[in-house]
Amino acid sequence: MSPQTESAVSNRETEASVIRQPLGARLGHLFKSQAMQIVLVWLAIVMIFSALSPGAFLDIANFRNIAISVSILAILGVGTTFIIVTGGIDLSMGSVLVFSGVVGSMVMESLGDGEGWFVAIVGILAALTSGLFWGLLNGFLVAKAKVPAMIVTLGTFGAALGLSQVLTSGIDLRAAPEVLVDSVGFGSLFGVPSLVIIATTVVIFGIILLNHTKFGLRTSAVGSNAEACRRVGINVDRQLIKVYALAGLLAGLAGVLNLSFFRSTTIAGHSLTNLDVIAGVVIGGTSLFGGIGTVFGTLVGLFIPATLRNGFVILGVEPYWQQVVVGAFLVGAVYVDQTRRAANSRGSTRTSIYSRIFHHKSSTNTNRKES
Amino acid sequence: MRHATTIKVASVVAAMAFTLAACSSSSESESTAPATEAASTAEATASANKELSVAFIQGVIGDNFYISMECGVRAAAQEIGGVNVSVQGGQKWDPALQQPIVTSVMATSPDAILIAPNDITALQRPLEEAAKESKVVLVDTTVEDPSFAVSQIASDNVGGGAAAFEAIKKMVPEGGQVLVIDNQPGISTSDARVEGFEGAVGADPSFEYVGVQYAKNEPAKAAEIVTSTLQRYPDLKAIFATNIFSAEGAATGIKQAGVAGDVRVVGFDAGPAQVEALEDGTVQALIAQQPYQIGYQGVMQAVASLRGESTESTIQTGFTIVTKDNLATEEGQAALYASTC
Amino acid sequence: MTTPIYEARDIVRTYGSVRALEGANFDVYPGEISALIGDNGAGKSTLVRILAGADQANAGQILFNGEPINLENPTDARRRGIETVFQDLALANHLNPIQNMYLGRELMKRGFLGSLGFMQRSEMRSQGRAAFSELGATVRNFSGPVGGMSGGQRQAIAVARAAAWASEVIFLDEPTAALGVVQTKGVMDLIRRIRDKGIAVVLISHSMPHVLDVADRVHVLRHGKRVAVMDAKKTNVEELVGAMTGALDGEEAA
Repeated sequence: MSPQTESAVSNRETEASVIRQPLGARLGHLFKSQAMQIVLVWLAIVMIFSALSPGAFLDIANFRNIAISVSILAILGVGTTFIIVTGGIDLSMGSVLVFSGVVGSMVMESLGDGEGWFVAIVGILAALTSGLFWGLLNGFLVAKAKVPAMIVTLGTFGAALGLSQVLTSGIDLRAAPEVLVDSVGFGSLFGVPSLVIIATTVVIFGIILLNHTKFGLRTSAVGSNAEACRRVGINVDRQLIKVYALAGLLAGLAGVLNLSFFRSTTIAGHSLTNLDVIAGVVIGGTSLFGGIGTVFGTLVGLFIPATLRNGFVILGVEPYWQQVVVGAFLVGAVYVDQTRRAANSRGSTRTSIYSRIFHHKSSTNTNRKES
Repeated sequence: MRHATTIKVASVVAAMAFTLAACSSSSESESTAPATEAASTAEATASANKELSVAFIQGVIGDNFYISMECGVRAAAQEIGGVNVSVQGGQKWDPALQQPIVTSVMATSPDAILIAPNDITALQRPLEEAAKESKVVLVDTTVEDPSFAVSQIASDNVGGGAAAFEAIKKMVPEGGQVLVIDNQPGISTSDARVEGFEGAVGADPSFEYVGVQYAKNEPAKAAEIVTSTLQRYPDLKAIFATNIFSAEGAATGIKQAGVAGDVRVVGFDAGPAQVEALEDGTVQALIAQQPYQIGYQGVMQAVASLRGESTESTIQTGFTIVTKDNLATEEGQAALYASTC
Repeated sequence: MTTPIYEARDIVRTYGSVRALEGANFDVYPGEISALIGDNGAGKSTLVRILAGADQANAGQILFNGEPINLENPTDARRRGIETVFQDLALANHLNPIQNMYLGRELMKRGFLGSLGFMQRSEMRSQGRAAFSELGATVRNFSGPVGGMSGGQRQAIAVARAAAWASEVIFLDEPTAALGVVQTKGVMDLIRRIRDKGIAVVLISHSMPHVLDVADRVHVLRHGKRVAVMDAKKTNVEELVGAMTGALDGEEAA
């Protein structure tokens, strides 16, 4: 700070020390946060399905399976949250996942006998590197070449998948060291599957990174007002490249986990993964317009469609209806976000759906009368 | 209040979910809430009097082949009596989509699971796991080590591929260049069809095989393959399209290139779009599998196993060659794939 | 006579065939409010951008504390203690006032944690609050997003942010353009307090009454040149308008 301000500030520091809100207000603030509301929504879904089929749904093994199915998506979700917070988007994650798995598998197969932890670690590093490469490419094209993120990542979505098919002639590779499959793919620690542990670690890392570090703060700032960031000397291009690189790296990690779990590079698969993850991010409360978002929200947002699908299969609902309901949640989440953004930008106190629908018209009439 | 909005929206959607669930549960067969029934059914040993639950996991939803298979499943269930059928499947052919469906189905502890696995290794462990509680029958596609399964039921795809060549030979007796359009390599069923075709065409010197191209279940890609192949091989006489989307696309490609009538197409599978192509002459023959039979046999094998009766570990179903000539006959009509059951 | 803290001499700036500035002059002393006025197209924004480091002049000199300097970018200017608040305020709407204040200048924790990216959040919070209150900028909610606050609040936050970091000069481009009467008074008082701290304030405004109310000197720009420098207490609106539109003689003022 300027010397004048600093001296004035230090005089006041003793006065303004630790101004904390009372506990009640802090708890109230917590419950009003979007993330908490999403958790309540998820709990409501759990309660409804538990009531409809307690035996099958409300079961530790069932929840463990839901968690496993969300794990890989959650890792992708961390990176995607960062990208969407900057106001960008990533459609390439599924293909980068596949490509990284292919590279990892090829590397591991060619090393020695293809078994053991040394091979596994080299393979993991190879996969991470290939994911990082695609992330850097995405970031460079978005930040420096100024190509819109949707177009860039649509291009890399096709390119990464195409390269995977070139490298493998379209046939899935299945080489993965047994240690990797057994410990990462299907291992568990104290009953918690390894996949879930790894995903949880990545999610916690993501939460800390976004909420508590300069990198995370600047990510939000760039998404909120990139021009303002440039004016205060933040290298916006470099920040964007780092964000996309992070997402690419995580997609590489997801590729390894995918290979370990399925013992296959699943080239034909993951074509809808990008939309599933983006839906999870949006349902979790992160705005597609950037500036605000939480990794925790993304995690819960991913749990909701996964839990819905699980419950619907258990109840025997036709697959087509499942898609309709998950889609309805997505639209609902975006609507809630729109409402919140409108309320924030106008300082309005009227935010309930009822008043937005029914009072909107009458306010227009009033304006016409006055003019 | 902002959280009021969210709670309201969520309640509406949750209410929708509840209603849909209740509706589809009651629209199933005469039994009551399937899940609670299934849970208790799994504990008891299967006997002729107990109601049996069969879960059918399709390879992909919205595909006439698997819908016909569903019809066969339901018919067998109806015939046996006391068998409750539930059908699930992924939006796309994707092991990452199918695996959570398998684990969700496992939560209901069905007596039997019929499944067309999306990948030979990806579904290996999940199905081995499922086989501990339920009888598993593999339909259409298989896995690396199917020893946990009660039975594997699929078309004799090698024979089917050879039959496709026979159909071409009948239509183009003088010989010529032939192309194969496949889905993608690595899928056991279509690989076998290509193998059968290649074996048959290789044995016949009057035909030149210009190779196999992959359309990845996308009709648009198949059309593009046809138009570009015609550029390179203008004397192309016939195309063998190994599955429904490839055949659709091949027909489109031929129309686009304006060579309808000069280039013969033999398709594998007989969905409504292909039958239409057969009717208006773009496709000249269809090698129809018997998915209805596969589904029917699947249930039969599962129930036999549950009742402690003997089972067959491998069943190969046949095929029907459908042309414009026999389309109107009863045999021809029965060979076509269903759109609803 | 003391040297001006910041001075522009004979600045020329052309864009192709458009001559935005044709030898413009400007100066400001510490602890004074110099207003820069002129009609649309007179060259005010161009001059401010050059003095803020966002643009480079084609010819002329910029002197800081009597020394000629060359500003490559806004960071160069900021390093010298020159801050600018443009009309768009450059606030990140989703961030709170404290985060906005420290944007780009975050306080990092010492040692290893700092290199990992962890910030001194409670320090920034308390220092930031103190900086705001010291300038008399009352911020109602320090943890809410800036985007949800009123225009006057946002202006105050943007101005206070610049003032907290500006050790020498602060440029304010149309700070009251979008504000109502009460909010304008608040910002005007804030500007006076900044001046009282010894910082040189450059105020660009279209509003003559406000300019005469708060400025010490008024510089009038016309056709890319300074045509008059008046003592605010000794001039009036007609004179200023006359200088702006050329009713007065277009001679360079001393």
